[in-house]
Amino acid sequence: MSEPIITLENVGVAFNARLRAGSPRFWALEDVSLRLARGQRLGVIGRNGAGKSTLLRTLAGILVPDRGRVVRAAVSCQLLSLSVGFMHHLSGRDNAILSGLMLGLRRREIENRLAAILEFSELGDFFEQPISSYSTGMLLRLGFSVAMQVEPDVLLIDEVLAVGDADFQQKSGSALRQRIQGGTTVVFVSHGDAQIRQVCDSVLWIEHGRSVMLGAVDTVLGAYHAAPHVAKAQ
Amino acid sequence: MTGPATARMRLHYVELVLFSTYAELRAERSRSYLGLLWWIIEPAMNMGVYYLVFAVILGSAQVDYVPFLLVGLTLWQWFKSCVSHGGYAIWVQLGLVRQVRLPAQLFPTVQILADSVKFVFILGLLVAILWASGYPPNLTYIALPVVLFIELIFAAGAAYVLAALVPFVPDLRFIIEQVLQVMMFLSGIVFALDRVPEPLRRWFALNPIAVLVDAGRGILMYARWPDWSALATVALISLALFAAGSWLIARLTPRYVKLPL
Repeated sequence: MSEPIITLENVGVAFNARLRAGSPRFWALEDVSLRLARGQRLGVIGRNGAGKSTLLRTLAGILVPDRGRVVRAAVSCQLLSLSVGFMHHLSGRDNAILSGLMLGLRRREIENRLAAILEFSELGDFFEQPISSYSTGMLLRLGFSVAMQVEPDVLLIDEVLAVGDADFQQKSGSALRQRIQGGTTVVFVSHGDAQIRQVCDSVLWIEHGRSVMLGAVDTVLGAYHAAPHVAKAQ
Repeated sequence: MTGPATARMRLHYVELVLFSTYAELRAERSRSYLGLLWWIIEPAMNMGVYYLVFAVILGSAQVDYVPFLLVGLTLWQWFKSCVSHGGYAIWVQLGLVRQVRLPAQLFPTVQILADSVKFVFILGLLVAILWASGYPPNLTYIALPVVLFIELIFAAGAAYVLAALVPFVPDLRFIIEQVLQVMMFLSGIVFALDRVPEPLRRWFALNPIAVLVDAGRGILMYARWPDWSALATVALISLALFAAGSWLIARLTPRYVKLPL
Protein backbone atom coordinates (compact mmCIF):
# COMPACT_ATOMS: atom_id res chain seq x y z
CA MET A 1 0.00 0.00 0.00
CA SER A 2 1.35 3.44 -0.89
CA GLU A 3 2.12 6.18 1.62
CA PRO A 4 -1.09 7.10 3.53
CA ILE A 5 -2.45 10.60 2.90
CA ILE A 6 -4.54 10.65 6.08
CA THR A 7 -3.86 8.63 9.19
CA LEU A 8 -6.11 8.50 12.25
CA GLU A 9 -4.59 7.07 15.41
CA ASN A 10 -6.96 6.22 18.26
CA VAL A 11 -9.05 9.29 17.55
CA GLY A 12 -11.80 10.34 19.95
CA VAL A 13 -14.25 13.23 19.54
CA ALA A 14 -16.49 14.47 22.33
CA PHE A 15 -19.55 16.72 22.17
CA ASN A 16 -21.26 18.79 24.82
CA ALA A 17 -24.60 17.27 25.64
CA ARG A 18 -26.20 20.56 26.65
CA LEU A 19 -25.45 24.24 26.57
CA ARG A 20 -24.29 24.56 30.17
CA ALA A 21 -20.93 25.05 31.72
CA GLY A 22 -19.74 21.67 32.99
CA SER A 23 -22.46 19.76 31.19
CA PRO A 24 -21.51 16.13 30.58
CA ARG A 25 -19.72 15.30 27.37
CA PHE A 26 -20.45 12.29 25.26
CA TRP A 27 -17.94 10.63 23.01
CA ALA A 28 -19.32 10.31 19.50
CA LEU A 29 -16.02 8.74 18.50
CA GLU A 30 -14.18 6.76 21.15
CA ASP A 31 -11.27 5.12 19.44
CA VAL A 32 -10.98 5.01 15.67
CA SER A 33 -7.83 4.29 13.71
CA LEU A 34 -7.44 4.16 9.97
CA ARG A 35 -4.98 4.77 7.15
CA LEU A 36 -6.22 6.19 3.91
CA ALA A 37 -4.01 5.78 0.84
CA ARG A 38 -4.18 7.86 -2.33
CA GLY A 39 -6.77 6.41 -4.67
CA GLN A 40 -8.33 4.24 -1.98
CA ARG A 41 -12.11 3.98 -1.89
CA LEU A 42 -13.05 3.30 1.67
CA GLY A 43 -16.57 2.44 2.76
CA VAL A 44 -17.69 3.09 6.34
CA ILE A 45 -20.45 0.96 7.85
CA GLY A 46 -22.03 0.76 11.27
CA ARG A 47 -25.41 1.24 12.88
CA ASN A 48 -27.11 4.59 13.43
CA GLY A 49 -25.21 6.56 16.02
CA ALA A 50 -22.02 4.54 15.55
CA GLY A 51 -20.16 7.75 14.76
CA LYS A 52 -19.97 7.51 10.97
CA SER A 53 -20.84 11.15 10.25
CA THR A 54 -18.59 12.36 13.06
CA LEU A 55 -15.77 10.37 11.47
CA LEU A 56 -16.36 12.05 8.10
CA ARG A 57 -16.37 15.52 9.64
CA THR A 58 -13.16 14.70 11.47
CA LEU A 59 -11.56 13.61 8.20
CA ALA A 60 -12.78 16.86 6.62
CA GLY A 61 -10.96 18.82 9.32
CA ILE A 62 -14.19 20.41 10.58
CA LEU A 63 -13.96 18.55 13.90
CA VAL A 64 -10.72 18.57 15.85
CA PRO A 65 -10.17 15.36 17.85
CA ASP A 66 -10.18 15.56 21.64
CA ARG A 67 -7.78 12.67 21.86
CA GLY A 68 -5.65 10.66 19.48
CA ARG A 69 -3.93 12.02 16.42
CA VAL A 70 -4.78 12.98 12.86
CA VAL A 71 -1.89 13.12 10.41
CA ARG A 72 -2.76 14.67 7.10
CA ALA A 73 -0.59 15.13 4.01
CA ALA A 74 -1.06 18.40 2.10
CA VAL A 75 -4.35 17.31 0.54
CA SER A 76 -7.74 18.94 0.25
CA CYS A 77 -10.53 17.03 1.91
CA GLN A 78 -14.13 17.94 1.27
CA LEU A 79 -17.48 16.66 2.37
CA LEU A 80 -19.89 16.44 -0.55
CA SER A 81 -22.41 18.96 0.77
CA LEU A 82 -25.36 20.30 -1.16
CA SER A 83 -26.63 23.88 -1.00
CA VAL A 84 -23.93 25.12 1.38
CA GLY A 85 -24.59 28.76 2.30
CA PHE A 86 -27.54 29.17 -0.08
CA MET A 87 -29.52 32.39 0.50
CA HIS A 88 -33.22 32.53 -0.35
CA HIS A 89 -33.42 35.90 -2.01
CA LEU A 90 -30.46 35.45 -4.32
CA SER A 91 -30.54 34.12 -7.86
CA GLY A 92 -29.34 30.64 -8.76
CA ARG A 93 -26.27 32.21 -10.34
CA ASP A 94 -25.33 34.23 -7.23
CA ASN A 95 -25.94 31.22 -5.02
CA ALA A 96 -23.72 29.07 -7.21
CA ILE A 97 -20.89 31.59 -6.82
CA LEU A 98 -21.45 31.98 -3.06
CA SER A 99 -21.64 28.26 -2.45
CA GLY A 100 -18.63 27.56 -4.66
CA LEU A 101 -16.57 30.10 -2.71
CA MET A 102 -17.63 28.51 0.57
CA LEU A 103 -16.62 25.10 -0.73
CA GLY A 104 -13.14 26.39 -1.47
CA LEU A 105 -13.23 27.42 -5.12
CA ARG A 106 -11.74 30.70 -6.26
CA ARG A 107 -14.06 33.30 -7.78
CA ARG A 108 -12.48 32.85 -11.21
CA GLU A 109 -12.78 29.06 -11.08
CA ILE A 110 -16.44 29.19 -10.22
CA GLU A 111 -17.19 31.85 -12.87
CA ASN A 112 -15.59 29.57 -15.47
CA ARG A 113 -17.85 26.74 -14.43
CA LEU A 114 -21.15 28.62 -14.32
CA ALA A 115 -22.04 27.45 -17.83
CA ALA A 116 -21.44 23.84 -16.83
CA ILE A 117 -23.51 24.32 -13.65
CA LEU A 118 -26.36 25.85 -15.63
CA GLU A 119 -26.30 23.00 -18.11
CA PHE A 120 -26.02 20.18 -15.58
CA SER A 121 -28.72 21.59 -13.31
CA GLU A 122 -31.16 22.00 -16.24
CA LEU A 123 -32.48 25.19 -14.66
CA GLY A 124 -32.70 27.22 -17.87
CA ASP A 125 -34.09 30.71 -17.29
CA PHE A 126 -34.69 29.93 -13.62
CA PHE A 127 -30.93 30.24 -13.10
CA GLU A 128 -31.35 34.03 -12.95
CA GLN A 129 -34.39 33.85 -10.63
CA PRO A 130 -34.22 33.89 -6.82
CA ILE A 131 -34.03 30.37 -5.46
CA SER A 132 -37.02 31.08 -3.22
CA SER A 133 -39.05 30.45 -6.40
CA TYR A 134 -37.50 27.00 -6.92
CA SER A 135 -39.10 23.63 -6.29
CA THR A 136 -37.34 21.17 -3.99
CA GLY A 137 -36.12 19.25 -7.02
CA MET A 138 -34.67 22.36 -8.64
CA LEU A 139 -32.85 23.26 -5.42
CA LEU A 140 -31.32 19.79 -5.21
CA ARG A 141 -30.25 19.99 -8.86
CA LEU A 142 -28.54 23.33 -8.32
CA GLY A 143 -26.97 22.14 -5.06
CA PHE A 144 -25.62 18.99 -6.63
CA SER A 145 -24.33 20.75 -9.74
CA VAL A 146 -22.37 23.23 -7.61
CA ALA A 147 -21.06 20.56 -5.24
CA MET A 148 -19.76 18.55 -8.19
CA GLN A 149 -17.59 21.45 -9.32
CA VAL A 150 -15.39 21.06 -6.28
CA GLU A 151 -12.66 18.53 -6.94
CA PRO A 152 -10.96 17.72 -3.66
CA ASP A 153 -8.13 15.19 -3.36
CA VAL A 154 -10.26 13.29 -0.89
CA LEU A 155 -14.01 13.23 -1.43
CA LEU A 156 -16.13 12.45 1.62
CA ILE A 157 -19.66 11.24 0.96
CA ASP A 158 -22.34 10.83 3.60
CA GLU A 159 -25.02 8.48 2.25
CA VAL A 160 -26.09 10.61 -0.68
CA LEU A 161 -24.99 9.26 -4.03
CA ALA A 162 -27.81 10.62 -6.11
CA VAL A 163 -30.46 13.31 -5.70
CA GLY A 164 -33.63 14.59 -7.30
CA ASP A 165 -36.33 12.93 -9.37
CA ALA A 166 -35.81 9.62 -11.18
CA ASP A 167 -34.11 11.16 -14.23
CA PHE A 168 -31.80 13.39 -12.29
CA GLN A 169 -30.95 10.56 -9.90
CA GLN A 170 -29.68 8.61 -12.85
CA LYS A 171 -27.68 11.56 -14.07
CA SER A 172 -26.25 12.68 -10.71
CA GLY A 173 -25.49 9.11 -9.69
CA SER A 174 -23.54 8.42 -12.85
CA ALA A 175 -21.67 11.73 -12.63
CA LEU A 176 -20.59 10.88 -9.11
CA ARG A 177 -19.63 7.31 -9.97
CA GLN A 178 -17.59 8.67 -12.86
CA ARG A 179 -15.79 10.99 -10.46
CA ILE A 180 -15.14 8.14 -8.01
CA GLN A 181 -13.89 5.77 -10.67
CA GLY A 182 -11.70 8.53 -12.08
CA GLY A 183 -9.20 7.83 -9.31
CA THR A 184 -10.32 10.24 -6.58
CA THR A 185 -9.72 9.05 -3.04
CA VAL A 186 -13.14 8.48 -1.48
CA VAL A 187 -14.57 7.82 1.94
CA PHE A 188 -18.17 6.74 1.62
CA VAL A 189 -20.59 6.29 4.50
CA SER A 190 -23.53 4.04 3.65
CA HIS A 191 -26.14 1.64 4.94
CA GLY A 192 -26.49 -0.06 1.58
CA ASP A 193 -24.37 -3.13 0.91
CA ALA A 194 -24.99 -2.87 -2.81
CA GLN A 195 -23.65 0.70 -2.98
CA ILE A 196 -20.64 -0.19 -0.86
CA ARG A 197 -19.80 -3.12 -3.13
CA GLN A 198 -20.24 -0.96 -6.19
CA VAL A 199 -18.10 1.93 -5.00
CA CYS A 200 -15.54 0.76 -2.45
CA ASP A 201 -12.40 -1.34 -2.43
CA SER A 202 -12.18 -1.61 1.35
CA VAL A 203 -14.49 -1.17 4.32
CA LEU A 204 -14.22 0.12 7.87
CA TRP A 205 -16.78 -1.09 10.36
CA ILE A 206 -17.33 1.11 13.40
CA GLU A 207 -19.50 0.42 16.42
CA HIS A 208 -20.14 2.74 19.39
CA GLY A 209 -17.42 5.04 18.12
CA ARG A 210 -14.76 2.34 17.90
CA SER A 211 -13.27 0.78 14.82
CA VAL A 212 -14.15 -2.90 14.83
CA MET A 213 -12.70 -4.11 11.57
CA LEU A 214 -10.90 -2.70 8.56
CA GLY A 215 -10.31 -4.81 5.46
CA ALA A 216 -11.57 -6.13 2.14
CA VAL A 217 -15.21 -5.44 1.27
CA ASP A 218 -16.50 -9.03 1.42
CA THR A 219 -14.67 -9.90 4.62
CA VAL A 220 -15.92 -6.89 6.59
CA LEU A 221 -19.49 -6.97 5.24
CA GLY A 222 -19.61 -10.71 6.04
CA ALA A 223 -18.43 -10.19 9.60
CA TYR A 224 -20.77 -7.22 10.07
CA HIS A 225 -23.85 -9.22 9.09
CA ALA A 226 -22.75 -12.24 11.10
CA ALA A 227 -22.51 -10.12 14.27
CA PRO A 228 -25.46 -10.83 16.65
CA HIS A 229 -26.68 -7.23 16.99
CA VAL A 230 -27.29 -6.94 13.26
CA ALA A 231 -29.74 -9.84 13.30
CA LYS A 232 -31.50 -8.18 16.23
CA ALA A 233 -31.58 -4.79 14.59
CA GLN A 234 -33.08 -6.02 11.33
CA MET B 1 1.58 24.82 5.24
CA THR B 2 3.68 26.49 2.55
CA GLY B 3 3.81 30.23 1.91
CA PRO B 4 2.07 30.41 -1.46
CA ALA B 5 -0.69 28.07 -0.29
CA THR B 6 -1.42 30.34 2.66
CA ALA B 7 -1.41 33.43 0.46
CA ARG B 8 -3.80 31.68 -1.93
CA MET B 9 -6.08 30.85 0.97
CA ARG B 10 -6.05 34.44 2.16
CA LEU B 11 -7.03 35.70 -1.27
CA HIS B 12 -9.75 33.11 -1.36
CA TYR B 13 -11.11 34.39 1.96
CA VAL B 14 -11.02 37.97 0.70
CA GLU B 15 -13.09 36.91 -2.32
CA LEU B 16 -15.49 35.03 -0.08
CA VAL B 17 -15.94 37.97 2.31
CA LEU B 18 -16.50 40.45 -0.51
CA PHE B 19 -19.00 38.29 -2.35
CA SER B 20 -20.83 37.41 0.87
CA THR B 21 -21.09 41.11 1.68
CA TYR B 22 -22.55 41.76 -1.74
CA ALA B 23 -24.92 38.80 -1.27
CA GLU B 24 -25.98 40.07 2.15
CA LEU B 25 -26.78 43.56 0.86
CA ARG B 26 -28.48 42.22 -2.22
CA ALA B 27 -30.64 39.79 -0.22
CA GLU B 28 -31.57 42.53 2.22
CA ARG B 29 -32.59 44.77 -0.66
CA SER B 30 -34.95 42.19 -2.09
CA ARG B 31 -36.56 41.41 1.25
CA SER B 32 -38.62 44.61 1.25
CA TYR B 33 -40.67 46.73 -1.15
CA LEU B 34 -38.57 49.86 -0.82
CA GLY B 35 -35.28 47.99 -0.77
CA LEU B 36 -32.30 50.33 -0.81
CA LEU B 37 -34.40 53.28 0.33
CA TRP B 38 -34.60 51.75 3.78
CA TRP B 39 -30.88 52.31 4.21
CA ILE B 40 -31.77 55.99 4.40
CA ILE B 41 -35.34 55.96 5.73
CA GLU B 42 -34.67 53.79 8.76
CA PRO B 43 -31.91 55.94 10.28
CA ALA B 44 -33.81 59.09 9.30
CA MET B 45 -36.86 57.89 11.21
CA ASN B 46 -34.67 57.06 14.17
CA MET B 47 -33.17 60.56 14.10
CA GLY B 48 -36.67 62.02 13.86
CA VAL B 49 -37.69 60.28 17.08
CA TYR B 50 -34.71 61.64 19.01
CA TYR B 51 -35.24 65.07 17.53
CA LEU B 52 -38.87 65.02 18.64
CA VAL B 53 -38.04 63.93 22.18
CA PHE B 54 -34.91 65.93 22.90
CA ALA B 55 -35.30 69.06 20.80
CA VAL B 56 -39.06 69.59 20.57
CA ILE B 57 -40.39 68.10 23.80
CA LEU B 58 -37.48 68.49 26.22
CA GLY B 59 -36.22 71.60 24.43
CA SER B 60 -32.47 71.02 24.49
CA ALA B 61 -30.54 74.19 25.26
CA GLN B 62 -27.63 72.91 23.17
CA VAL B 63 -26.56 75.27 20.40
CA ASP B 64 -26.58 73.73 16.94
CA TYR B 65 -28.61 70.88 18.38
CA VAL B 66 -29.82 69.43 15.09
CA PRO B 67 -26.40 68.96 13.46
CA PHE B 68 -25.05 67.88 16.85
CA LEU B 69 -27.68 65.13 16.98
CA LEU B 70 -27.32 64.14 13.31
CA VAL B 71 -23.55 63.66 13.47
CA GLY B 72 -23.78 61.81 16.78
CA LEU B 73 -26.51 59.45 15.67
CA THR B 74 -24.89 58.73 12.30
CA LEU B 75 -21.63 57.66 13.90
CA TRP B 76 -23.44 55.84 16.69
CA GLN B 77 -25.81 53.86 14.48
CA TRP B 78 -22.91 52.57 12.42
CA PHE B 79 -21.21 51.29 15.57
CA LYS B 80 -24.41 49.87 16.95
CA SER B 81 -25.39 47.96 13.83
CA CYS B 82 -21.87 46.53 13.45
CA VAL B 83 -21.95 45.30 17.05
CA SER B 84 -25.45 43.89 17.04
CA HIS B 85 -25.26 42.25 13.58
CA GLY B 86 -21.64 41.17 13.87
CA GLY B 87 -22.15 39.97 17.44
CA TYR B 88 -24.76 37.40 16.40
CA ALA B 89 -23.07 36.40 13.17
CA ILE B 90 -21.33 33.20 14.28
CA TRP B 91 -24.29 32.07 16.35
CA VAL B 92 -26.64 32.55 13.40
CA GLN B 93 -24.30 30.64 11.09
CA LEU B 94 -23.59 27.66 13.35
CA GLY B 95 -25.20 25.37 10.78
CA LEU B 96 -22.67 26.49 8.20
CA VAL B 97 -19.80 26.28 10.68
CA ARG B 98 -20.68 22.60 11.14
CA GLN B 99 -20.75 21.94 7.41
CA VAL B 100 -17.64 23.52 6.00
CA ARG B 101 -14.20 24.36 7.23
CA LEU B 102 -13.94 28.15 7.19
CA PRO B 103 -12.47 30.66 9.63
CA ALA B 104 -15.43 31.70 11.81
CA GLN B 105 -14.16 35.29 11.80
CA LEU B 106 -15.43 35.64 8.23
CA PHE B 107 -19.05 35.74 9.41
CA PRO B 108 -18.92 38.84 11.66
CA THR B 109 -16.59 40.50 9.15
CA VAL B 110 -19.23 40.20 6.42
CA GLN B 111 -21.85 41.83 8.66
CA ILE B 112 -19.49 44.66 9.60
CA LEU B 113 -18.64 45.34 5.96
CA ALA B 114 -22.30 45.28 4.93
CA ASP B 115 -23.16 47.78 7.66
CA SER B 116 -20.19 49.93 6.66
CA VAL B 117 -21.36 50.09 3.04
CA LYS B 118 -24.72 51.36 4.27
CA PHE B 119 -22.95 53.81 6.56
CA VAL B 120 -21.09 55.33 3.61
CA PHE B 121 -24.41 56.24 1.99
CA ILE B 122 -25.75 57.77 5.18
CA LEU B 123 -22.51 59.67 5.76
CA GLY B 124 -22.75 61.11 2.25
CA LEU B 125 -26.27 62.28 2.97
CA LEU B 126 -25.23 63.72 6.33
CA VAL B 127 -22.41 65.73 4.79
CA ALA B 128 -24.77 67.07 2.12
CA ILE B 129 -27.25 68.15 4.79
CA LEU B 130 -24.50 69.85 6.79
CA TRP B 131 -23.28 71.77 3.74
CA ALA B 132 -26.81 72.87 2.95
CA SER B 133 -27.34 74.09 6.50
CA GLY B 134 -24.23 76.23 6.80
CA TYR B 135 -21.42 73.88 7.84
CA PRO B 136 -19.18 74.01 4.77
CA PRO B 137 -16.41 71.52 3.92
CA ASN B 138 -13.08 72.45 5.45
CA LEU B 139 -9.44 71.41 5.72
CA THR B 140 -9.95 69.26 8.83
CA TYR B 141 -11.92 66.81 6.67
CA ILE B 142 -8.52 65.24 6.04
CA ALA B 143 -8.66 63.87 9.60
CA LEU B 144 -12.08 62.30 9.12
CA PRO B 145 -10.84 59.01 7.55
CA VAL B 146 -8.58 58.51 10.57
CA VAL B 147 -11.50 58.95 12.96
CA LEU B 148 -13.71 56.63 10.91
CA PHE B 149 -10.99 54.00 10.62
CA ILE B 150 -10.51 53.91 14.40
CA GLU B 151 -14.25 53.58 14.84
CA LEU B 152 -14.28 50.68 12.37
CA ILE B 153 -11.54 48.89 14.31
CA PHE B 154 -13.34 49.49 17.60
CA ALA B 155 -16.70 48.31 16.23
CA ALA B 156 -15.09 45.23 14.69
CA GLY B 157 -13.26 44.46 17.93
CA ALA B 158 -16.44 44.70 19.99
CA ALA B 159 -18.34 42.64 17.41
CA TYR B 160 -15.65 39.92 17.34
CA VAL B 161 -15.57 39.57 21.12
CA LEU B 162 -19.36 39.20 21.24
CA ALA B 163 -19.47 36.96 18.17
CA ALA B 164 -16.96 34.66 19.87
CA LEU B 165 -19.02 34.38 23.06
CA VAL B 166 -22.66 34.45 21.95
CA PRO B 167 -22.63 30.81 20.65
CA PHE B 168 -21.73 29.64 24.16
CA VAL B 169 -23.96 32.08 26.03
CA PRO B 170 -26.87 32.94 23.70
CA ASP B 171 -28.43 34.74 26.70
CA LEU B 172 -26.02 37.60 26.00
CA ARG B 173 -28.46 38.68 23.29
CA PHE B 174 -30.83 39.99 25.95
CA ILE B 175 -28.10 42.07 27.51
CA ILE B 176 -26.44 43.47 24.40
CA GLU B 177 -29.34 45.73 23.43
CA GLN B 178 -29.55 47.15 26.95
CA VAL B 179 -25.84 47.75 27.22
CA LEU B 180 -25.83 49.48 23.83
CA GLN B 181 -28.69 51.72 24.98
CA VAL B 182 -26.81 52.75 28.12
CA MET B 183 -23.63 53.21 26.14
CA MET B 184 -25.39 55.56 23.74
CA PHE B 185 -26.36 57.88 26.58
CA LEU B 186 -22.90 57.67 28.13
CA SER B 187 -21.29 58.57 24.82
CA GLY B 188 -22.95 61.96 24.43
CA ILE B 189 -24.90 61.03 21.33
CA VAL B 190 -28.19 62.77 22.10
CA PHE B 191 -27.02 65.21 24.75
CA ALA B 192 -23.63 66.71 25.52
CA LEU B 193 -21.53 65.33 28.34
CA ASP B 194 -20.47 68.76 29.62
CA ARG B 195 -22.35 68.23 32.85
CA VAL B 196 -20.28 65.18 33.78
CA PRO B 197 -18.47 65.94 37.06
CA GLU B 198 -14.73 66.53 36.74
CA PRO B 199 -13.46 63.35 38.52
CA LEU B 200 -15.46 61.18 36.15
CA ARG B 201 -14.31 62.89 32.97
CA ARG B 202 -11.04 60.99 32.94
CA TRP B 203 -12.99 57.74 32.66
CA PHE B 204 -15.38 59.08 30.07
CA ALA B 205 -12.39 60.04 27.95
CA LEU B 206 -11.58 56.33 27.65
CA ASN B 207 -14.90 55.61 25.98
CA PRO B 208 -13.88 55.34 22.32
CA ILE B 209 -17.30 56.29 20.99
CA ALA B 210 -17.47 59.50 23.05
CA VAL B 211 -14.03 60.55 21.83
CA LEU B 212 -14.70 59.59 18.21
CA VAL B 213 -18.08 61.31 18.08
CA ASP B 214 -16.59 64.42 19.62
CA ALA B 215 -13.82 64.39 17.01
CA GLY B 216 -16.38 63.87 14.25
CA ARG B 217 -18.46 66.83 15.41
CA GLY B 218 -15.37 69.00 15.66
CA ILE B 219 -14.41 68.22 12.08
CA LEU B 220 -17.83 68.37 10.43
CA MET B 221 -19.27 71.30 12.37
CA TYR B 222 -16.47 73.53 13.63
CA ALA B 223 -13.43 72.82 11.39
CA ARG B 224 -11.65 71.81 14.59
CA TRP B 225 -8.76 69.33 14.50
CA PRO B 226 -9.24 66.24 16.69
CA ASP B 227 -7.51 65.85 20.06
CA TRP B 228 -4.73 63.61 18.76
CA SER B 229 -3.61 62.24 22.13
CA ALA B 230 -7.16 61.24 23.08
CA LEU B 231 -7.51 59.71 19.63
CA ALA B 232 -4.27 57.75 20.06
CA THR B 233 -5.46 56.31 23.38
CA VAL B 234 -8.73 55.29 21.80
CA ALA B 235 -6.89 53.75 18.83
CA LEU B 236 -4.85 51.61 21.23
CA ILE B 237 -7.95 50.47 23.09
CA SER B 238 -9.61 49.62 19.78
CA LEU B 239 -6.62 47.68 18.50
CA ALA B 240 -6.40 45.72 21.75
CA LEU B 241 -10.09 44.83 21.51
CA PHE B 242 -9.69 43.87 17.86
CA ALA B 243 -6.76 41.60 18.66
CA ALA B 244 -8.57 40.07 21.64
CA GLY B 245 -11.68 39.38 19.57
CA SER B 246 -9.72 37.80 16.72
CA TRP B 247 -7.77 35.67 19.16
CA LEU B 248 -10.93 34.54 20.98
CA ILE B 249 -12.66 33.50 17.78
CA ALA B 250 -9.63 31.58 16.53
CA ARG B 251 -9.27 29.97 19.93
CA LEU B 252 -12.93 28.95 20.23
CA THR B 253 -13.55 27.89 16.62
CA PRO B 254 -12.95 24.15 17.23
CA ARG B 255 -15.57 24.27 19.96
CA TYR B 256 -18.39 25.86 17.94
CA VAL B 257 -18.70 22.67 15.94
CA LYS B 258 -19.20 20.68 19.10
CA LEU B 259 -21.99 22.76 20.60
CA PRO B 260 -25.35 21.00 20.90
CA LEU B 261 -27.83 21.92 18.18
